[in-house]
Amino acid sequence: MNHYRRFIGTTTTGIFFLFLFSFNNNLFAQDGQAIFKSYCASCHKPDAEFTGPPLKGAREREAAAGLPKDWVYKWVHNTTSMINTDPYAKQMFAKYNSVMTAFPDLKNEEIDAVLDWANKYEKPAAAASATGTGTAGEDDNSLLYGVLTLILAVIALILLQVNSNLKKLSDEKQGIRTPNPVPFYRNKAYLLLGIIVLFLIGGYFTMEAAIGLGRTKGYQPEQPIYYSHKIHAGTNQISCLYCHGGAQDSKHANIPSVNVCMNCHISIKEYTGEPITREDGTSVNGTAEIQKLYEYAGWNPDLKKYDRPGKPVEWVRIHNLPDHVYFNHSQHVKVGQQQCQTCHGNIQDMGEVAQFADLSMGWCINCHRETKVQFNDSAGNGNKFYSIYEKFHDDIKNKKYDSVTVERIGGTECQKCHY
Amino acid sequence: MKTMNLIFGILILVTTFISCRDKRDPGRVYMPDMAYSRAYEAYAANNLKQNGINYINYPVEGTVRRGDLFAYTIPNDSNGYKMAVTVKNPLTALDSNQMLEAQRLYNINCAICHGENMDAQGPLAVSGKVGGIANLKLDQFIKQPEGQMFHVVTYGKGNMGSYAAQLDRKQRWMVVQYVKSEQVKGSAAAKDSSSITPAAKDTSSTAQK
Repeated sequence: MNHYRRFIGTTTTGIFFLFLFSFNNNLFAQDGQAIFKSYCASCHKPDAEFTGPPLKGAREREAAAGLPKDWVYKWVHNTTSMINTDPYAKQMFAKYNSVMTAFPDLKNEEIDAVLDWANKYEKPAAAASATGTGTAGEDDNSLLYGVLTLILAVIALILLQVNSNLKKLSDEKQGIRTPNPVPFYRNKAYLLLGIIVLFLIGGYFTMEAAIGLGRTKGYQPEQPIYYSHKIHAGTNQISCLYCHGGAQDSKHANIPSVNVCMNCHISIKEYTGEPITREDGTSVNGTAEIQKLYEYAGWNPDLKKYDRPGKPVEWVRIHNLPDHVYFNHSQHVKVGQQQCQTCHGNIQDMGEVAQFADLSMGWCINCHRETKVQFNDSAGNGNKFYSIYEKFHDDIKNKKYDSVTVERIGGTECQKCHY
Repeated sequence: MKTMNLIFGILILVTTFISCRDKRDPGRVYMPDMAYSRAYEAYAANNLKQNGINYINYPVEGTVRRGDLFAYTIPNDSNGYKMAVTVKNPLTALDSNQMLEAQRLYNINCAICHGENMDAQGPLAVSGKVGGIANLKLDQFIKQPEGQMFHVVTYGKGNMGSYAAQLDRKQRWMVVQYVKSEQVKGSAAAKDSSSITPAAKDTSSTAQK
C-alpha cells in the first residue's frame, strides 16, 4: 500500500512538472511570436526573404560563418555601429542594402524566444483563396425580343398573304370578279407604311446619334500602363484620395505623378495576386506592368535607385466635360461630401476604368434637384457656410420643410456652371 | 419614291456609323470650338517649347505659397536627419476639429501601411506586400522628436517615400502632431494595464485591435 502511494506521488509530481515545463515552453514560444509580430515582422519573415533575411535558421547561418553565440544579441542591440565594424554585418548590408533598426531594449531571452519560434515555424496551410465574386453577366433580353418580334411579324405577313389568297380563290369560285392585283411594291398602302417605318427608324437613330455627340459614356481607352483600380482601391483598400488628393482642394482630381506610385512600388516589385484578365479575355502580366512603371520612373529595382531620367506617364483622359461647362471637384468632394462613386461608378471594381455616367446636363441637373444640402444642424454637423441661408434655416425650424435641395440654393442656375 | 428611299437608306447608314462606336474611341463632338479649351488645360500636352516660348514647370525653389508655412530647408541626408531633432512644430496645438482633419489625413495617407492604430498593421502590411514599416507604438518612435518625424514624412526613409507631394507643410505638421498625440495615448493605456516587459506591452496593444 505504502509503495503505491509513493508511486502515485512521484507520478503526480512528474506529471505536474512535465505539465509545467511544457506549459512554460508553450508560453515562451507564444511570447516569441508576439515579440516577432511587434518588433520584427515589418522587415522579416520567419521562413522567407523579405526586407531582411529569414529568421529561420539564422543562428545556424551565423554559426556556419564562425560567429559566437552572442553575436546576434550584439547585433540586435547595436546595429548601426556593427554595420561599420563587423565583417559579417557588412556582408549582410551589401546583400540587403538596408540597416536594421536597433532594439537595445530587447533582452537576450526575448531574442532567443523569437529565434526559437522562427526555427519551429511552419507555414500555415494555405487557406483556399477566396475567388473574386464574378458578377453574373446580365442577360441582355433586347436581342431575344427583337428576334421574337421579327418572327411574329413574318408569321403575320404570311398569314395575311394566305388569307388574301384564300379570299381570292373563294371569290373566283363564286364568280365575283376582282381587279387585277398589283404587286406589293406598287401597292400604295404598303409603300406608305414602309416610308413611315423607315422614317421612324431613321429618326430614332438620328436623334440617338445627335444626343450621343460629345457624350462618352462607356469610354474605356487603353492606358499606357494597365493600372487596375480593382487591385489598388479594391483589394489593397487604398483610399481614392491617396492618389487623387487634389479632388478635395482643387478643380481637378489630380492624376498622381510617378513618385506617388513609387511610394509603394519601391517595395512591390511583382504582382502576386489573382490572375488579371482584360474584358476581351486576354491576360495581363502584372509584373511586366510594374516594370513599365519603373521604365517611366527611371528606377532600377536591382540597384534600388533612380539611375536614369524619368518621364511622365501619358494617361488617357476619360472624363471630359466640354470647355463651356465649369466643374470643380473640391466643391463636390469637400463641400458637398459626395462619394467618388456617385459620379465615377464602382471604381474599386474596375480593372480598366470606363466612364460610368454620361456626364450630360440632364444628369447633372437631376442630381442637383435630388441631393439635399447638409445644413449645419444644432449638433454642429454639416457645412457652416450654409448658415448664411437664414430664411431656409428659419423655415426648417418652423417645420415648413425638413431639408433643402441643391436646387433651392441656386444649384440649377445657368451661371453656376456656364459663364 | 426611289430617291426618297435612297435618302433614308443613306441616313440610316450614316447614323448607325456615327452611333455605333468603339469603346476605345471617344467619338465626336459638335461645335469643337466650344468643347475643347483654347487655353492649355491641366495635364494637357502643349507645344510651347517647340514654339520658342520659355517657361518653368515648377515654382522657383524656396517659393512660399501665400498662407503656407515657411520652407523646410534642412537637407535630405544623414546629417539633416540628426539636425531635424531640433526643429519645432510651428503650429499651435490643434483643436478637436483640426485633430479630426489630421486623423482623416493620417488615415488616407499613412494608415495604408502604418495602420489606423499605428501598430504597423495596415492593409499593405498585413498582406505582406510592403516591408520595413515602422510600428509607431514602439518606444523608439514614441521618443522620436516631432521634428525628425516631420523630416521623415518630408523626405521618406528606408522603404517609405516622400509625402511632400501629397501633404503640404501644414498638413504634414498636423499629421505629426496627431501621431504624437495618439502615441502618448497608447503608451499611457499600456502602462496602466501592464508595466512588465515591452513584449507584454505590445501584446496588449495588439490585443486591443
